[in-house]
Amino acid sequence: MTKWWRWRLQLVAICGMAASSALGAAAMAADGGLIEAAKKEGEVVWYSSLIQNQASRPMAAAFERKYPGIKVRVNAGVVSDLTLKLLDEARAGGVRADVSHGGSTFVRLKKAGLVDRYVPDSAADYPSDYKDPEGYWTAEVLSFLVAAINTDIVPPGDAPRSYQDILDPKWRGKIAWTNQMTQGGPPGFIGTVLQSMGRDAGLQYLRKLAQQQIVNVPANQRVVLDQVIAGQYPIALSTFNHHSEISAKKGAPVRWLKIEPVTATLDAVFLLKNAPHPNAGKLFIDFVLSGEGQAVFRAADYIPADPRTPAQIPSLKPEGGNFKVAILPPQMVEEELPDWIKIYNELFK
Amino acid sequence: MKQVAVVGAAGMRPRRRAQSSWRGSGLTIWLPAGIMTMVLAILVLPPIGVLLQTSLTEVNETGGAGSFTLAHYAALLADPKLYSSAWNSVIFAAMATGVSLFFGGALAWIVERTNAPLRPLAYVTAFVSLGTPYVIYVSAWLFLLGRAGPINDLYRQFSGSSGIIFNVYSMAGMVLVEGFLWSPLVFLLLSAAFRRANADMEEAARMCGASVFRTFWHISLRLAQPAIIGIGLFVFIRNLESFDVPVLIGTPGRVNLLTTDIYLSITQIPPLLGHASAFSVVLIAVVAVLLYFYGRISRNADRYASITGKGYRPRPFDLGRARWLGGAVILLNFVVILALPLLAVLWNSFMPFVRPMNLAGLRLLTMENYLAVLYETSYVQLAVNTIFVSALAATLAIFLTVIAGWLAVRRWPGGATLDQITSIPLVFPGIVLGVAMMEIALWSPLPLYGTLWLISIAFVIRYMPYGMRYAYSGVLQIHRELEEAAGVAGASQLAILRRIVAPLLSPAIIAGWLFIFLLGARELSIAVLLAGPESQTMAVAMFDQWSNGQGAEASALGAAWTVLMTICACSLYFVVRRQSDMVAGS
Repeated sequence: MTKWWRWRLQLVAICGMAASSALGAAAMAADGGLIEAAKKEGEVVWYSSLIQNQASRPMAAAFERKYPGIKVRVNAGVVSDLTLKLLDEARAGGVRADVSHGGSTFVRLKKAGLVDRYVPDSAADYPSDYKDPEGYWTAEVLSFLVAAINTDIVPPGDAPRSYQDILDPKWRGKIAWTNQMTQGGPPGFIGTVLQSMGRDAGLQYLRKLAQQQIVNVPANQRVVLDQVIAGQYPIALSTFNHHSEISAKKGAPVRWLKIEPVTATLDAVFLLKNAPHPNAGKLFIDFVLSGEGQAVFRAADYIPADPRTPAQIPSLKPEGGNFKVAILPPQMVEEELPDWIKIYNELFK
Repeated sequence: MKQVAVVGAAGMRPRRRAQSSWRGSGLTIWLPAGIMTMVLAILVLPPIGVLLQTSLTEVNETGGAGSFTLAHYAALLADPKLYSSAWNSVIFAAMATGVSLFFGGALAWIVERTNAPLRPLAYVTAFVSLGTPYVIYVSAWLFLLGRAGPINDLYRQFSGSSGIIFNVYSMAGMVLVEGFLWSPLVFLLLSAAFRRANADMEEAARMCGASVFRTFWHISLRLAQPAIIGIGLFVFIRNLESFDVPVLIGTPGRVNLLTTDIYLSITQIPPLLGHASAFSVVLIAVVAVLLYFYGRISRNADRYASITGKGYRPRPFDLGRARWLGGAVILLNFVVILALPLLAVLWNSFMPFVRPMNLAGLRLLTMENYLAVLYETSYVQLAVNTIFVSALAATLAIFLTVIAGWLAVRRWPGGATLDQITSIPLVFPGIVLGVAMMEIALWSPLPLYGTLWLISIAFVIRYMPYGMRYAYSGVLQIHRELEEAAGVAGASQLAILRRIVAPLLSPAIIAGWLFIFLLGARELSIAVLLAGPESQTMAVAMFDQWSNGQGAEASALGAAWTVLMTICACSLYFVVRRQSDMVAGS
């Protein structure tokens, strides 16, 4: 795994250098014909569940600055609502969105025949893990799901360092995680364990973990982390590493743990089939994945997928923080999620 | 108006108004309820249709309705803990209803019928708490009562132990939070009822030597009985269907209710709505039965009417030295329902991150979150949209339910079904109604999809049951004889409704309007689901901050929003109430 990772890092570095020199110039300016066609369409409709005031609106504004005459209409909402809207609108005979994004919802939408192939120039140098082999999606931001501790309650030497350490009886009843049944919640944790330990050893591990009586907090990962910060629980699993860094920067007693492999999930951007403004949609995707678009994500404290764009805190990315990850790509999530949820229901509910 | 008739309220027996009455005969007597039934049916039946369809079909690949199945109903019965879940649900709903009725009812009586001090504070408490976004409210409670909250913190400091004195993640915690959440509703509903109560009987009882408590128990409560039973039934159903508190508090405490599993199925991506729809269909049947029995109870409601042709001047009750006890109850209500949760919200909004409430935290105080909210200019448009949607929905819902409530209480032919129809939306889970409205709008020839109008219509449907409760219990109080007098004097039925019923009903109308307005303004799930790029409301921003985990900023936005809503509600209430007092001549 380590060797493989080192090789990956080198690859990323090479790509980065190459991109910033020769390919960079080509990738910078999207195809003139596309821009013309997009301008004729005049607008792009973007279904987005990103933080509005920090990511969605700045992204729209940056795009409109770069391509005057093309308006970005943001339809904001949570992932589940946006998925429902996309499915229902298509069934009622009118696709209204051009571009959307998501983790595992992509496969559902693709099965319903709603996703079109498109790989923009700006993503040419993205690692293959971050792109659909068939060209349907490209990762725009990454998330790393980690354990986090309250540093006021847990002394530095006591923090678990490995998956086995979490099984220590001293943590019984003191571990929290979200009850969200997504790859970003317990199912993703289960998937990571099964993937990295193998199915039998993984299941054995999970059975032992179930004896720790993990508290299922009915809220999202951020709220769970807030409860750790507030001292409600000393430790939580499946929290986002950038949330810990943001709070720690403000003085909160919290630290995320590099228990390897760290669960990595992708948020993928894609073009809708039969989109009302296909060219503007393509141009927008190209922009989101370009250095300029990725910088907007970076400023909003998201972790940019583009290997050339470091995170605001470089140690958040595997390249900068030197940690191993287990990626859960959208196809795997779609296929395995029901099984992971089933295991959760049997052991942890 | 004051010396029209001498008939006592108690002696009257209603007659069944079959084919004809003084109100009219033949078509004219069937028409009003007929038209109302049609209007309401147009609003309520399509979502019921979608609900039934969702509950009876599988979801296919495109997210549409697939083949017929009874699996969703089977799944309800397949719950291995069905009996304990059902028992927990009933206990939870009943006890929480008890808390709301006791707390809200006692408060309403003290505020409207006695001379206790601090009475306006109770209204401020009710309106501010209704204007506070729900998620923020519940999480503030959890923060206060939780393991790291000030109550358990104090206990640890004084006892030296590391444990907790109160575990909020328990049935008791759930009952308390749910009970408190709905006590402002009970307070507003009953205060409208008590406000128009006839003081003569209470005074007669006092004159005969009854104590204050006996008077309250045997006279005030008895007079308000149909209203109280109606409200209790309503809150009970609402609690039975409630998702949020059982899930937010019950899940970590492993207290399973009927709605716990359903909640998990609707929070999947995309949501699985079949299970929730099947549950709602079953609940609709339960509600229909309950309402049928309620209808029988309130059949003789005329006996309870206290606004009669006799001069009525509701005089407050002199509590004597117990005045201060009454004041203490009002103060307690203020502290428990409003001050403590709001304090938690304020604390979080001034902190850079969520942290325990203690002195050490004071050095971290920051205005950062408020600045972030105030600099966000897009919030202005969202606020305008929200106020427009909620005001429109409240106006329409109240308009419809005042007519429907009057027709139902006065037992116009066909009036009984009106109560049933308007009560059905009570059991729609928010998201199910939202999806139903989305489907209807997508297939409808009118360009409603993605507009503010659609959100308004959804709110009208969702909040109609609440409007109906206000209107119904309000009309119950007004004795028929006033309308008969107007009829004898030659007024048309429309004129009677407009010039007799509506003015006398104004306290209920105002309270109901504000209630729906405030509930609509803080509603999240429907408003987010139905919003399009041009019809985003405040809910979208709040949900966004909440789900993207900007807890401190969400608290600041919530606090700012609460202030705005409070100003809206209080100014409107006091202006309109003054006018209505003039109309009513008191």
